[in-house]
Amino acid sequence: MAFGGVSTMSILWEGFVQGMRGLWTVALIVIPLMVVLEIADSNGLLKRLNRLMAKPFRVIGLREEGAFPVVVAIVFGITYGSGVIINHVRTGKVTRKEARVVGTFMALAHALIEDTVIFWVLGAPLLLLLAPRVILAYIMSYLVYRWTPETNSSDGDDLKAVN
Amino acid sequence: MLEVNRKMVWKGTKTGLQTTWELAKVVVPTAMVVAVFRASGTLDIITAFFAPYMGHFGLSGEAAVVLFSGYFVNLYAAAGSIMALNLTVREITICAVMLGFCHSLLVELPISQKAGSPLGYIFLIRLSCSLAVGWLLGVFLP
Repeated sequence: MAFGGVSTMSILWEGFVQGMRGLWTVALIVIPLMVVLEIADSNGLLKRLNRLMAKPFRVIGLREEGAFPVVVAIVFGITYGSGVIINHVRTGKVTRKEARVVGTFMALAHALIEDTVIFWVLGAPLLLLLAPRVILAYIMSYLVYRWTPETNSSDGDDLKAVN
Repeated sequence: MLEVNRKMVWKGTKTGLQTTWELAKVVVPTAMVVAVFRASGTLDIITAFFAPYMGHFGLSGEAAVVLFSGYFVNLYAAAGSIMALNLTVREITICAVMLGFCHSLLVELPISQKAGSPLGYIFLIRLSCSLAVGWLLGVFLP
């Protein structure tokens, strides 16, 4: 098969090279970043971050137990955050209403480091990648907190980490 | 103050390499598919079809490919599409911010559901935030 005289192989090769070049740029940032993140986590900085965020989260109706899954989701991704919240609901550490607020926040703002780096490397400005997500997540979960009746039930379920 | 040891560096490097590998599995094939799209003229057809809608977000028709690969597959696929297309930094920024709100829906919507939020509700909130912010950026981003 050929497209206007150019062979399929050379087109695939061109795409491959473009993909690899982009991948290399991202790897140069992602690998050191993961090392820094691991060091921060091992030194208990995640716990300190959680304490720091406790106050703004109280405004949207979350106690420290409810804020923790959000912090996990923000740093590590929605799968991990969901895992924590499911566990917390089962053991009664958070109410179903809190789970709904957390779910809303997590859906809009999660994996903020990884997601941001991908597009930052491609040239998008850091502030625009972060600020709108955090601000809208906060506003939306506040609205959910105000509008959700305390008795609203929802189903938590077992979840295996997907990535 | 910070304790740093070899184990942490190794564990972090391993996570980073894993992420890069996950990235490679999606970014490279996507870039190849988009290259074929472009050479075969399929991209022109997609572009022409979506150009009028993309205009609302200050995007060219090509950017539809980026948005769709991000919404349905994941951000790495969107990144792969960006790498294979010739978008301006402004367009990349708008796509990136829109995709931040709404991505990997096939994987993440069921996850949200398992964490106790209805699927349709999470879908609506994510898509509407994405479209609203995309529209705002299309209007106000210089």
